[in-house]
Amino acid sequence: MRNLIAIGAVLTMAAAVPVVAHHAFGGEFDPNKPVLLKGKMIKLEWVNPHAWLHIEVPKSDGTQACQFTPNSKCEEWMVEGGTPNTLLRRGITKESLTVGTELVIDGYQARDHSLNRANGRNITYPDGRKLFLGSSGTGAPTDGADPTEAPKGRGRGGQ
Amino acid sequence: MKRSILTALVASLALSGAAAGQMKNTVLPRTADGHPDLTGTYDLAMLTPLERPNGMPAVMSDQDAARLERQVVEQNRALDKAIDGNRAAPPKGGDGSVGPAGNVGGYNNFWLDRGSQYSIVDGQRRTSIVIDPQDGRVPALTPDARQRQAARLAQFRPTSDQTESNDPGLEPAGAYDDPERRPLGERCLLGFGSTSGPPVLPNYFYNNMHQIVQTPDSVMILTEMVHDARVVRMNAKHLPPSIRRWMGDSIGSWEGDTLVVDTTNFTDKTRFRGSTPEMHVVERITRVDAKTLKYRFTIEDPATWTKPWTGEYTWPATNERIYEYACHEGNYAMGNILRGARLREKTQTNQK
Repeated sequence: MRNLIAIGAVLTMAAAVPVVAHHAFGGEFDPNKPVLLKGKMIKLEWVNPHAWLHIEVPKSDGTQACQFTPNSKCEEWMVEGGTPNTLLRRGITKESLTVGTELVIDGYQARDHSLNRANGRNITYPDGRKLFLGSSGTGAPTDGADPTEAPKGRGRGGQ
Repeated sequence: MKRSILTALVASLALSGAAAGQMKNTVLPRTADGHPDLTGTYDLAMLTPLERPNGMPAVMSDQDAARLERQVVEQNRALDKAIDGNRAAPPKGGDGSVGPAGNVGGYNNFWLDRGSQYSIVDGQRRTSIVIDPQDGRVPALTPDARQRQAARLAQFRPTSDQTESNDPGLEPAGAYDDPERRPLGERCLLGFGSTSGPPVLPNYFYNNMHQIVQTPDSVMILTEMVHDARVVRMNAKHLPPSIRRWMGDSIGSWEGDTLVVDTTNFTDKTRFRGSTPEMHVVERITRVDAKTLKYRFTIEDPATWTKPWTGEYTWPATNERIYEYACHEGNYAMGNILRGARLREKTQTNQK
Protein backbone atom coordinates (compact mmCIF):
# COMPACT_ATOMS: atom_id res chain seq x y z
CA MET A 1 0.00 0.00 0.00
CA ARG A 2 2.79 2.36 0.87
CA ASN A 3 4.35 1.76 -2.52
CA LEU A 4 1.06 2.46 -4.21
CA ILE A 5 0.74 5.77 -2.43
CA ALA A 6 4.31 6.62 -3.32
CA ILE A 7 3.79 5.84 -6.98
CA GLY A 8 0.56 7.82 -7.04
CA ALA A 9 2.33 10.71 -5.39
CA VAL A 10 5.16 10.59 -7.91
CA LEU A 11 2.73 10.80 -10.81
CA THR A 12 0.74 13.61 -9.22
CA MET A 13 3.93 15.50 -8.45
CA ALA A 14 5.25 15.19 -11.97
CA ALA A 15 2.01 16.56 -13.35
CA ALA A 16 1.62 19.30 -10.78
CA VAL A 17 4.60 21.51 -11.49
CA PRO A 18 3.16 24.55 -13.19
CA VAL A 19 4.69 25.70 -16.41
CA VAL A 20 4.37 29.17 -17.78
CA ALA A 21 6.05 30.78 -20.73
CA HIS A 22 7.09 34.21 -21.73
CA HIS A 23 4.39 34.68 -24.30
CA ALA A 24 1.44 33.13 -26.06
CA PHE A 25 2.73 30.71 -28.69
CA GLY A 26 -0.83 29.98 -29.71
CA GLY A 27 -1.38 33.65 -30.51
CA GLU A 28 1.84 34.03 -32.45
CA PHE A 29 1.92 30.92 -34.63
CA ASP A 30 -0.71 29.29 -36.81
CA PRO A 31 -1.47 25.61 -36.09
CA ASN A 32 -2.80 25.33 -39.66
CA LYS A 33 0.51 26.33 -41.26
CA PRO A 34 3.05 23.62 -40.38
CA VAL A 35 6.48 24.08 -41.93
CA LEU A 36 9.58 21.99 -42.42
CA LEU A 37 12.62 24.11 -43.17
CA LYS A 38 15.96 22.79 -44.39
CA GLY A 39 18.74 25.23 -44.97
CA LYS A 40 21.90 26.85 -43.69
CA MET A 41 22.08 29.39 -40.93
CA ILE A 42 22.93 32.88 -42.15
CA LYS A 43 22.46 34.86 -38.95
CA LEU A 44 21.83 34.29 -35.26
CA GLU A 45 20.09 36.92 -33.16
CA TRP A 46 21.25 36.01 -29.67
CA VAL A 47 18.75 38.32 -27.99
CA ASN A 48 16.10 38.27 -25.30
CA PRO A 49 13.38 37.37 -24.73
CA HIS A 50 13.97 34.79 -27.46
CA ALA A 51 16.86 33.93 -29.73
CA TRP A 52 16.05 33.99 -33.45
CA LEU A 53 17.91 31.89 -36.00
CA HIS A 54 17.87 33.08 -39.60
CA ILE A 55 18.25 30.38 -42.22
CA GLU A 56 18.18 30.41 -45.99
CA VAL A 57 16.03 27.79 -47.64
CA PRO A 58 16.81 27.07 -51.32
CA LYS A 59 13.71 27.71 -53.40
CA SER A 60 13.34 28.08 -57.18
CA ASP A 61 11.29 31.28 -56.81
CA GLY A 62 13.31 32.53 -53.84
CA THR A 63 13.64 36.26 -53.44
CA GLN A 64 17.36 36.46 -52.78
CA ALA A 65 20.59 34.85 -53.93
CA CYS A 66 21.70 32.06 -51.63
CA GLN A 67 24.86 32.71 -49.66
CA PHE A 68 25.81 29.06 -49.34
CA THR A 69 24.35 27.44 -52.49
CA PRO A 70 25.99 28.98 -55.59
CA ASN A 71 23.75 30.21 -58.42
CA SER A 72 20.56 29.45 -56.52
CA LYS A 73 17.69 31.43 -55.11
CA CYS A 74 16.80 31.26 -51.45
CA GLU A 75 14.06 32.33 -49.11
CA GLU A 76 15.04 33.68 -45.68
CA TRP A 77 13.24 32.34 -42.62
CA MET A 78 13.42 33.46 -38.99
CA VAL A 79 13.01 30.78 -36.36
CA GLU A 80 12.18 31.48 -32.72
CA GLY A 81 14.04 29.68 -29.95
CA GLY A 82 14.28 30.23 -26.19
CA THR A 83 16.18 32.65 -23.98
CA PRO A 84 19.92 32.70 -24.63
CA ASN A 85 20.68 33.33 -20.94
CA THR A 86 20.17 29.69 -19.99
CA LEU A 87 22.53 28.52 -22.71
CA LEU A 88 25.11 31.19 -21.86
CA ARG A 89 25.30 29.78 -18.35
CA ARG A 90 26.12 26.40 -19.86
CA GLY A 91 28.93 27.93 -21.83
CA ILE A 92 27.10 28.11 -25.15
CA THR A 93 27.51 31.44 -26.87
CA LYS A 94 26.55 32.99 -30.15
CA GLU A 95 29.90 31.78 -31.47
CA SER A 96 29.05 28.16 -30.62
CA LEU A 97 26.92 27.96 -33.73
CA THR A 98 28.63 29.04 -36.90
CA VAL A 99 27.00 30.68 -39.88
CA GLY A 100 26.66 28.10 -42.65
CA THR A 101 25.64 25.27 -40.31
CA GLU A 102 23.00 23.12 -41.97
CA LEU A 103 19.81 22.81 -39.95
CA VAL A 104 16.47 21.03 -40.12
CA ILE A 105 13.64 22.84 -38.36
CA ASP A 106 10.02 21.95 -37.93
CA GLY A 107 7.41 24.28 -36.52
CA TYR A 108 4.48 26.47 -37.43
CA GLN A 109 4.47 29.70 -39.38
CA ALA A 110 3.52 33.04 -37.83
CA ARG A 111 -0.17 33.85 -38.09
CA ASP A 112 0.79 36.66 -40.45
CA HIS A 113 1.61 34.48 -43.45
CA SER A 114 3.40 37.29 -45.22
CA LEU A 115 6.18 36.81 -42.66
CA ASN A 116 8.64 33.97 -43.07
CA ARG A 117 8.77 33.35 -39.35
CA ALA A 118 8.20 30.13 -37.43
CA ASN A 119 8.71 28.64 -34.00
CA GLY A 120 11.62 26.24 -33.66
CA ARG A 121 9.52 23.33 -32.42
CA ASN A 122 12.49 21.12 -33.20
CA ILE A 123 15.85 22.47 -34.28
CA THR A 124 18.26 19.71 -35.33
CA TYR A 125 21.24 18.97 -37.50
CA PRO A 126 20.43 17.00 -40.71
CA ASP A 127 20.99 13.70 -38.89
CA GLY A 128 18.37 14.56 -36.29
CA ARG A 129 20.65 15.40 -33.36
CA LYS A 130 19.32 18.31 -31.34
CA LEU A 131 21.10 21.60 -31.69
CA PHE A 132 23.82 22.29 -29.09
CA LEU A 133 23.40 18.77 -27.69
CA GLY A 134 24.14 16.53 -30.62
CA SER A 135 27.70 17.32 -31.48
CA SER A 136 31.06 17.20 -29.73
CA GLY A 137 32.65 20.56 -29.32
CA THR A 138 29.53 22.65 -29.37
CA GLY A 139 30.09 23.73 -25.82
CA ALA A 140 26.98 21.86 -24.80
CA PRO A 141 26.69 20.68 -21.20
CA THR A 142 29.09 17.82 -20.72
CA ASP A 143 28.56 14.77 -18.60
CA GLY A 144 32.09 13.46 -19.01
CA ALA A 145 30.94 10.65 -21.27
CA ASP A 146 32.83 12.00 -24.24
CA PRO A 147 36.53 12.67 -23.50
CA THR A 148 36.92 14.39 -26.86
CA GLU A 149 34.45 17.09 -25.94
CA ALA A 150 35.89 20.57 -25.98
CA PRO A 151 36.11 22.45 -22.69
CA LYS A 152 32.94 24.25 -21.70
CA GLY A 153 32.33 27.35 -23.71
CA ARG A 154 35.07 26.77 -26.25
CA GLY A 155 33.09 24.94 -28.89
CA ARG A 156 33.26 25.61 -32.57
CA GLY A 157 29.64 24.66 -33.16
CA GLY A 158 27.96 23.13 -36.12
CA GLN A 159 28.82 19.75 -37.50
CA MET B 1 -1.12 40.58 11.13
CA LYS B 2 0.16 39.34 14.47
CA ARG B 3 -2.08 36.33 14.23
CA SER B 4 -0.73 35.37 10.82
CA ILE B 5 2.87 35.59 11.95
CA LEU B 6 2.05 33.47 14.96
CA THR B 7 0.34 30.87 12.77
CA ALA B 8 3.34 30.85 10.47
CA LEU B 9 5.64 30.33 13.42
CA VAL B 10 3.58 27.45 14.70
CA ALA B 11 3.48 25.88 11.26
CA SER B 12 7.19 26.36 10.90
CA LEU B 13 7.98 24.82 14.27
CA ALA B 14 5.77 21.88 13.43
CA LEU B 15 7.70 21.34 10.22
CA SER B 16 11.20 21.96 11.43
CA GLY B 17 12.90 20.02 14.13
CA ALA B 18 16.26 20.97 15.48
CA ALA B 19 16.86 23.68 12.89
CA ALA B 20 17.46 26.42 15.43
CA GLY B 21 20.18 24.45 17.13
CA GLN B 22 21.97 23.82 13.86
CA MET B 23 22.18 27.49 13.04
CA LYS B 24 23.83 28.56 16.26
CA ASN B 25 26.98 26.61 15.46
CA THR B 26 27.42 28.25 12.09
CA VAL B 27 29.61 31.31 11.65
CA LEU B 28 27.65 33.51 9.30
CA PRO B 29 29.24 36.10 7.04
CA ARG B 30 28.43 39.58 8.35
CA THR B 31 28.60 43.10 7.03
CA ALA B 32 30.62 45.86 8.73
CA ASP B 33 27.52 46.97 10.67
CA GLY B 34 27.17 43.51 12.16
CA HIS B 35 24.14 42.23 10.26
CA PRO B 36 24.21 38.96 8.35
CA ASP B 37 25.55 39.50 4.85
CA LEU B 38 22.85 38.43 2.40
CA THR B 39 24.84 39.54 -0.63
CA GLY B 40 25.06 37.04 -3.41
CA THR B 41 23.52 35.51 -6.49
CA TYR B 42 20.91 32.82 -5.99
CA ASP B 43 19.37 30.30 -8.34
CA LEU B 44 15.75 29.71 -7.39
CA ALA B 45 15.04 26.98 -9.94
CA MET B 46 13.60 23.97 -8.11
CA LEU B 47 10.99 21.23 -8.32
CA THR B 48 9.00 22.11 -5.19
CA PRO B 49 5.73 23.65 -6.40
CA LEU B 50 3.89 26.51 -4.68
CA GLU B 51 1.03 24.22 -3.64
CA ARG B 52 1.32 20.67 -2.38
CA PRO B 53 -0.01 18.10 -4.83
CA ASN B 54 -2.90 16.03 -3.52
CA GLY B 55 -1.88 13.03 -1.47
CA MET B 56 1.67 14.15 -0.85
CA PRO B 57 3.09 14.41 2.66
CA ALA B 58 4.55 17.81 3.64
CA VAL B 59 8.04 16.36 3.71
CA MET B 60 9.42 13.70 1.39
CA SER B 61 11.85 10.97 2.31
CA ASP B 62 15.31 11.26 0.79
CA GLN B 63 14.59 8.15 -1.26
CA ASP B 64 11.34 9.50 -2.71
CA ALA B 65 12.98 12.82 -3.52
CA ALA B 66 15.93 11.07 -5.17
CA ARG B 67 13.56 8.98 -7.28
CA LEU B 68 11.56 12.00 -8.43
CA GLU B 69 14.70 13.98 -9.14
CA ARG B 70 16.04 11.06 -11.18
CA GLN B 71 12.81 11.03 -13.19
CA VAL B 72 13.39 14.64 -14.14
CA VAL B 73 16.95 13.89 -15.25
CA GLU B 74 15.70 10.96 -17.33
CA GLN B 75 12.92 13.04 -18.82
CA ASN B 76 15.44 15.68 -19.87
CA ARG B 77 17.69 13.02 -21.37
CA ALA B 78 14.79 11.62 -23.37
CA LEU B 79 13.89 15.08 -24.65
CA ASP B 80 17.51 15.69 -25.64
CA LYS B 81 17.71 12.56 -27.78
CA ALA B 82 18.11 12.80 -31.52
CA ILE B 83 15.00 12.56 -33.68
CA ASP B 84 14.49 11.71 -37.34
CA GLY B 85 16.49 14.06 -39.53
CA ASN B 86 14.19 13.23 -42.45
CA ARG B 87 11.01 14.01 -40.56
CA ALA B 88 8.00 15.66 -42.15
CA ALA B 89 6.43 18.93 -41.06
CA PRO B 90 4.25 18.66 -37.93
CA PRO B 91 0.53 17.92 -38.39
CA LYS B 92 -1.83 20.51 -39.84
CA GLY B 93 -4.29 21.74 -37.24
CA GLY B 94 -1.66 21.74 -34.50
CA ASP B 95 0.36 19.11 -32.70
CA GLY B 96 -2.05 18.87 -29.75
CA SER B 97 0.39 20.45 -27.31
CA VAL B 98 -1.31 22.31 -24.50
CA GLY B 99 -0.45 25.11 -22.09
CA PRO B 100 2.36 27.43 -23.09
CA ALA B 101 3.24 25.26 -26.11
CA GLY B 102 -0.07 26.54 -27.56
CA ASN B 103 -0.81 23.65 -29.97
CA VAL B 104 2.29 24.57 -31.98
CA GLY B 105 4.87 22.76 -29.85
CA GLY B 106 6.75 25.67 -28.24
CA TYR B 107 10.49 25.09 -28.63
CA ASN B 108 13.16 22.55 -27.74
CA ASN B 109 13.84 21.52 -24.16
CA PHE B 110 17.51 22.48 -24.40
CA TRP B 111 16.60 26.12 -23.89
CA LEU B 112 14.97 25.40 -20.54
CA ASP B 113 16.28 25.26 -17.00
CA ARG B 114 13.37 24.21 -14.87
CA GLY B 115 15.29 23.03 -11.83
CA SER B 116 16.15 19.51 -10.84
CA GLN B 117 15.91 19.34 -7.05
CA TYR B 118 13.37 19.79 -4.30
CA SER B 119 13.83 22.65 -1.90
CA ILE B 120 15.49 21.58 1.34
CA VAL B 121 14.32 23.66 4.30
CA ASP B 122 15.70 22.85 7.74
CA GLY B 123 17.00 19.59 6.33
CA GLN B 124 13.57 18.62 5.01
CA ARG B 125 12.74 18.02 1.37
CA ARG B 126 9.53 19.97 0.97
CA THR B 127 6.63 19.16 -1.33
CA SER B 128 5.18 22.68 -1.34
CA ILE B 129 6.27 26.23 -0.77
CA VAL B 130 3.07 26.90 1.18
CA ILE B 131 3.45 25.87 4.84
CA ASP B 132 0.43 27.64 6.28
CA PRO B 133 -2.32 26.50 5.85
CA GLN B 134 -0.88 23.17 6.84
CA ASP B 135 -2.39 21.39 3.84
CA GLY B 136 0.13 23.28 1.72
CA ARG B 137 -2.56 24.92 -0.39
CA VAL B 138 -3.32 28.59 -0.94
CA PRO B 139 -6.52 29.44 0.99
CA ALA B 140 -9.79 29.78 -0.89
CA LEU B 141 -10.60 33.01 -2.65
CA THR B 142 -13.24 35.15 -0.98
CA PRO B 143 -16.58 35.56 -2.81
CA ASP B 144 -15.48 39.11 -3.58
CA ALA B 145 -12.26 37.89 -5.19
CA ARG B 146 -14.13 35.31 -7.26
CA GLN B 147 -16.44 38.04 -8.50
CA ARG B 148 -13.49 40.25 -9.45
CA GLN B 149 -11.91 37.35 -11.25
CA ALA B 150 -15.07 36.69 -13.24
CA ALA B 151 -15.35 40.37 -14.14
CA ARG B 152 -11.74 40.40 -15.29
CA LEU B 153 -12.21 37.33 -17.42
CA ALA B 154 -15.22 38.99 -18.99
CA GLN B 155 -13.01 41.93 -19.95
CA PHE B 156 -10.10 39.76 -21.07
CA ARG B 157 -7.43 41.81 -19.43
CA PRO B 158 -4.70 39.42 -18.38
CA THR B 159 -2.00 40.87 -16.16
CA SER B 160 1.21 39.74 -14.53
CA ASP B 161 -0.04 36.56 -12.97
CA GLN B 162 -2.13 35.47 -15.91
CA THR B 163 0.37 34.80 -18.60
CA GLU B 164 -1.84 33.19 -21.15
CA SER B 165 -4.82 31.01 -21.69
CA ASN B 166 -4.38 27.31 -21.17
CA ASP B 167 -6.44 26.85 -24.26
CA PRO B 168 -4.09 25.40 -26.85
CA GLY B 169 -5.38 27.78 -29.45
CA LEU B 170 -6.30 31.38 -29.07
CA GLU B 171 -7.43 33.37 -26.11
CA PRO B 172 -10.94 34.80 -26.32
CA ALA B 173 -11.63 37.68 -28.66
CA GLY B 174 -10.54 40.97 -27.18
CA ALA B 175 -7.38 39.58 -25.59
CA TYR B 176 -5.32 40.83 -28.54
CA ASP B 177 -7.04 44.17 -29.01
CA ASP B 178 -4.12 46.30 -27.89
CA PRO B 179 -0.67 45.88 -26.32
CA GLU B 180 -2.04 46.92 -22.92
CA ARG B 181 -4.22 43.84 -22.86
CA ARG B 182 -1.26 41.52 -23.18
CA PRO B 183 0.34 40.10 -20.01
CA LEU B 184 3.10 42.15 -18.42
CA GLY B 185 5.64 39.37 -19.10
CA GLU B 186 4.81 39.33 -22.78
CA ARG B 187 5.21 43.12 -22.80
CA CYS B 188 8.65 42.81 -21.22
CA LEU B 189 7.55 44.86 -18.19
CA LEU B 190 7.74 42.33 -15.35
CA GLY B 191 8.60 38.67 -15.14
CA PHE B 192 5.89 36.05 -15.33
CA GLY B 193 4.67 33.87 -12.50
CA SER B 194 5.68 36.40 -9.79
CA THR B 195 9.41 36.08 -10.49
CA SER B 196 10.02 39.60 -9.20
CA GLY B 197 7.33 39.42 -6.56
CA PRO B 198 6.81 40.07 -3.85
CA PRO B 199 6.42 37.26 -3.06
CA VAL B 200 9.39 36.09 -5.12
CA LEU B 201 8.61 32.72 -6.69
CA PRO B 202 10.40 30.47 -9.15
CA ASN B 203 8.79 30.25 -12.59
CA TYR B 204 9.64 26.57 -13.20
CA PHE B 205 10.88 27.47 -16.66
CA TYR B 206 14.17 29.39 -16.85
CA ASN B 207 16.21 32.41 -15.73
CA ASN B 208 15.45 32.03 -12.03
CA MET B 209 18.50 34.01 -10.96
CA HIS B 210 18.28 36.68 -8.28
CA GLN B 211 20.95 38.90 -6.83
CA ILE B 212 20.97 40.67 -3.48
CA VAL B 213 23.06 43.78 -2.94
CA GLN B 214 23.11 45.10 0.61
CA THR B 215 24.09 48.39 2.21
CA PRO B 216 23.15 49.73 5.65
CA ASP B 217 20.48 51.93 4.04
CA SER B 218 18.99 49.69 1.41
CA VAL B 219 18.82 46.16 0.14
CA MET B 220 18.30 45.55 -3.55
CA ILE B 221 16.80 42.37 -4.92
CA LEU B 222 17.52 42.04 -8.63
CA THR B 223 15.46 39.59 -10.65
CA GLU B 224 17.06 38.42 -13.88
CA MET B 225 13.79 38.10 -15.72
CA VAL B 226 12.52 40.69 -16.51
CA HIS B 227 15.36 42.89 -15.22
CA ASP B 228 13.41 44.02 -12.14
CA ALA B 229 15.28 45.70 -9.29
CA ARG B 230 13.33 46.09 -6.05
CA VAL B 231 14.99 48.46 -3.60
CA VAL B 232 14.09 47.85 0.02
CA ARG B 233 14.51 51.04 2.06
CA MET B 234 15.87 50.13 5.50
CA ASN B 235 14.26 51.53 8.64
CA ALA B 236 12.03 53.77 6.58
CA LYS B 237 8.32 54.53 6.66
CA HIS B 238 5.94 53.46 3.91
CA LEU B 239 5.14 55.93 1.17
CA PRO B 240 1.74 57.63 1.40
CA PRO B 241 -1.08 55.45 0.04
CA SER B 242 -1.40 57.72 -3.00
CA ILE B 243 1.97 56.50 -4.30
CA ARG B 244 1.68 53.06 -5.86
CA ARG B 245 4.42 50.89 -7.32
CA TRP B 246 4.43 47.90 -9.65
CA MET B 247 6.30 45.77 -7.12
CA GLY B 248 4.88 47.64 -4.15
CA ASP B 249 6.73 49.81 -1.65
CA SER B 250 9.21 47.72 0.34
CA ILE B 251 10.70 48.80 3.66
CA GLY B 252 13.09 46.70 5.71
CA SER B 253 14.25 46.17 9.25
CA TRP B 254 16.30 43.64 11.15
CA GLU B 255 14.72 41.32 13.66
CA GLY B 256 17.80 39.76 15.18
CA ASP B 257 19.55 38.11 12.25
CA THR B 258 16.50 38.11 9.99
CA LEU B 259 15.81 40.78 7.39
CA VAL B 260 12.10 41.59 7.49
CA VAL B 261 10.73 43.26 4.37
CA ASP B 262 7.28 44.78 4.56
CA THR B 263 5.58 45.60 1.27
CA THR B 264 2.36 47.52 0.60
CA ASN B 265 1.20 50.16 -1.95
CA PHE B 266 0.74 47.79 -4.90
CA THR B 267 -0.97 48.94 -8.08
CA ASP B 268 -3.99 47.57 -9.86
CA LYS B 269 -1.77 46.81 -12.86
CA THR B 270 -0.04 43.92 -11.15
CA ARG B 271 -1.97 41.25 -9.40
CA PHE B 272 -0.71 38.20 -7.58
CA ARG B 273 -3.20 35.37 -8.00
CA GLY B 274 -6.07 37.83 -8.07
CA SER B 275 -4.91 40.07 -5.20
CA THR B 276 -5.94 43.70 -4.74
CA PRO B 277 -3.61 46.71 -4.49
CA GLU B 278 -4.13 46.44 -0.70
CA MET B 279 -2.14 43.21 -0.51
CA HIS B 280 0.37 43.19 2.33
CA VAL B 281 3.43 40.97 2.01
CA VAL B 282 5.95 40.37 4.78
CA GLU B 283 9.13 38.60 3.67
CA ARG B 284 11.66 37.21 6.09
CA ILE B 285 15.10 36.48 4.73
CA THR B 286 17.57 34.60 6.92
CA ARG B 287 21.04 33.39 6.13
CA VAL B 288 21.16 29.71 7.07
CA ASP B 289 24.76 29.05 6.07
CA ALA B 290 27.42 30.48 3.80
CA LYS B 291 25.60 29.20 0.71
CA THR B 292 21.93 29.30 1.63
CA LEU B 293 19.22 31.80 2.48
CA LYS B 294 15.83 30.90 3.86
CA TYR B 295 13.06 32.91 2.27
CA ARG B 296 9.67 33.09 3.96
CA PHE B 297 6.69 35.21 3.09
CA THR B 298 3.29 35.84 4.61
CA ILE B 299 0.53 37.34 2.51
CA GLU B 300 -2.50 39.14 3.76
CA ASP B 301 -5.28 40.52 1.61
CA PRO B 302 -8.68 40.03 3.29
CA ALA B 303 -10.48 41.06 0.10
CA THR B 304 -8.85 38.17 -1.76
CA TRP B 305 -8.14 35.25 0.57
CA THR B 306 -10.21 33.94 3.43
CA LYS B 307 -7.11 34.01 5.66
CA PRO B 308 -3.44 35.01 5.51
CA TRP B 309 -1.05 32.41 4.19
CA THR B 310 2.66 31.68 4.42
CA GLY B 311 5.23 30.00 2.24
CA GLU B 312 8.93 29.30 2.54
CA TYR B 313 11.78 27.81 0.55
CA THR B 314 15.53 28.15 0.35
CA TRP B 315 17.58 30.28 -2.00
CA PRO B 316 20.76 28.37 -2.82
CA ALA B 317 23.74 30.56 -3.78
CA THR B 318 25.25 29.99 -7.18
CA ASN B 319 28.50 30.86 -8.89
CA GLU B 320 26.61 31.36 -12.13
CA ARG B 321 26.22 34.82 -13.54
CA ILE B 322 23.11 36.85 -14.12
CA TYR B 323 22.86 38.10 -17.68
CA GLU B 324 21.04 41.12 -18.89
CA TYR B 325 17.55 40.15 -19.92
CA ALA B 326 17.15 42.90 -22.47
CA CYS B 327 13.63 41.86 -23.27
CA HIS B 328 12.75 44.79 -25.52
CA GLU B 329 15.84 44.10 -27.61
CA GLY B 330 14.18 41.48 -29.72
CA ASN B 331 10.59 41.06 -28.67
CA TYR B 332 9.37 40.06 -32.12
CA ALA B 333 6.68 37.94 -30.49
CA MET B 334 4.62 40.95 -29.45
CA GLY B 335 4.44 42.27 -33.02
CA ASN B 336 3.74 38.82 -34.42
CA ILE B 337 0.88 38.28 -32.00
CA LEU B 338 -0.80 41.66 -32.59
CA ARG B 339 -0.25 41.54 -36.36
CA GLY B 340 -1.73 38.05 -36.52
CA ALA B 341 -4.82 39.30 -34.69
CA ARG B 342 -5.27 42.26 -37.06
CA LEU B 343 -5.06 39.96 -40.07
CA ARG B 344 -7.63 37.61 -38.55
CA GLU B 345 -10.00 40.55 -38.07
CA LYS B 346 -9.47 41.65 -41.65
CA THR B 347 -10.19 38.19 -42.98
CA GLN B 348 -13.30 37.91 -40.82
CA THR B 349 -14.54 41.33 -42.01
CA ASN B 350 -14.00 40.39 -45.66
CA GLN B 351 -15.95 37.19 -45.18
CA LYS B 352 -19.00 39.05 -43.89
